[in-house]
Amino acid sequence: MPLIVTRDLRKVFRSAKRSPGALGALRGLFSPVYEDRVAVAGLSMEIERGEFIGYIGPNGAGKSTTIKMLTGILVPSGGEIEVAGIVPHRKRRENARNIGVVFGQRTQLYWDLPLVDSFELLRAIYGIPQDRYRRSLDAFVELLEMGDFLRTPVRQLSLGQRMRGDFAAAMLHEPPILYLDEPTIGLDVVAKEAIRTFVARVNREQGTTIVLTTHDLADVERLCRRIVLIDHGRAIFDGPIERIKNEYGRERTLVVRFTETTSAPAIPGARLESLEGLTARFVFDRATQRVDRLVREVSDRYSVEDIAIEEPELEGIIRHIYTQGYAGEERSA
Amino acid sequence: MFAPYIEYARKAFAREATYRIELIAEIGSLVLRVYLLRSLWTALYAHNAAPTGLPLHSMITYTTVALLMSLVLEVDGTRIIREKLREGGIAVDLMKPIVVPFAYFSDGIGQTLVHALAILPSLLFALLLVRIDVPSLPVLAIFFCSFALGYGVNFFVNFLMNGVAFWTLETFGLQLIVRWISDLLSGQILPLSFFPGWFGRAVFALPFAAIYSTPLLLYVGIIQPAQWAAALAVQAAWLAVTAGASYLLWRAASQRVVVQGG
Repeated sequence: MPLIVTRDLRKVFRSAKRSPGALGALRGLFSPVYEDRVAVAGLSMEIERGEFIGYIGPNGAGKSTTIKMLTGILVPSGGEIEVAGIVPHRKRRENARNIGVVFGQRTQLYWDLPLVDSFELLRAIYGIPQDRYRRSLDAFVELLEMGDFLRTPVRQLSLGQRMRGDFAAAMLHEPPILYLDEPTIGLDVVAKEAIRTFVARVNREQGTTIVLTTHDLADVERLCRRIVLIDHGRAIFDGPIERIKNEYGRERTLVVRFTETTSAPAIPGARLESLEGLTARFVFDRATQRVDRLVREVSDRYSVEDIAIEEPELEGIIRHIYTQGYAGEERSA
Repeated sequence: MFAPYIEYARKAFAREATYRIELIAEIGSLVLRVYLLRSLWTALYAHNAAPTGLPLHSMITYTTVALLMSLVLEVDGTRIIREKLREGGIAVDLMKPIVVPFAYFSDGIGQTLVHALAILPSLLFALLLVRIDVPSLPVLAIFFCSFALGYGVNFFVNFLMNGVAFWTLETFGLQLIVRWISDLLSGQILPLSFFPGWFGRAVFALPFAAIYSTPLLLYVGIIQPAQWAAALAVQAAWLAVTAGASYLLWRAASQRVVVQGG
């Protein structure tokens, strides 16, 4: 039985539509016109215990609405949802014991108080026994290197330190499920890497199920085995990262640097994508074209200084899907 | 079961206590106001006959005690609701296994306790400047009961105002207006019996009178022992009404957050 199940999950927001001008506002007062906005339009997915899911999609795709329904603070308009056997919005507080949540753009720490004070409050909230609390706090202090700033007021912490504090705060009660909403936003490369190493370890060693929402696809590529791609409130792709790469990754780029200025270079079987100075980029389909032939052709025709072949990155693939739409079987209006 | 809420109060206490300068300024400003009001009432009484039943020393006692009460009553323990709504922190709180309004109430208690600590030094300084009447023990006891009820009414009036933020997000203008009206009609600035005619009678029928006026009139002895029970009953009734309204508002508001997504 999967840990998290949604079946045809829907969420429609209804808001009063405002007509422009004073007269319109007056009309709205007496006969309001409502406007429905579909945020999640029939989402079905299953997440097994111990999975690490990248939940991605463009802004406004319905990602945070889904997370809010999974945490029980938003009631779905339709469909079914179950997290660890609990319907979250029916038993919000019971569900809350099973989950930890980290928002990159928001902190749950007490701004004016030393970091450790927020942990003490959480100990009381979750009723963690004193000895277990000590043990897990010590572990987090070591893993996240928080020893130096445990007694520093949160407002004096750097963003990287604060995020580490937020991670510890979300996991002090050792929840089986972790929702991460843009956890690395605004962090420098070192801090990002520290966070990534930490969550990968938690997933691997404690078997924590993690749902990661992010725009940083390097996070996803590094951490997640499976991605769920959502757009206009529906899952348009759900599967291993390798699959999306194979489906979209058929295109390769041949980067050629000429020794002299070359106008309108061409190779049969490849399309010239760009030409900047001495460097030309050709795109080809690796399923129909052989690399050795292309390389031979280009070096026969032109005077070449260097040749490289680029594989597509997840970021490029996702950008392509956001702008062009997904060509897979689930594409619908 | 209560442990989380006690901890919320303790953290609020610790948080408020970090603003030491603010507390010192509060005490300083209070002492100054005590002195100015004494001068004002002394000058006014010198040129006019005393209003019915309130000699100058009672008047000075009234305003001084009112100012000391304001140290606690002007703490808006529920402004956390407004702040949480504006910054979206309410979503984070709802993701915890707690009853959110209880947590906010506890936070308010913690804040209030910090400011209550300022009462004693303020009282000492004030006594150096003015002489106030000290009533008998039973009167003091009934005063504190009445003060506690008034604290409750004040809390829920604030809760209702901050709760409006669920619909409008911004409540500053509304709060300013209600604060002015409340200061005047609660008897904080001057005894409600000073208002003439029907208006003088009407102000006693509003919840604001339960906040300052009732405990103060008990303190200066205008409400006689025979009327004590009735006075406290009216306060208790207002407490029930404002608490009930707060409950309804919270229910409607949380429904709105949950359904509309804040």
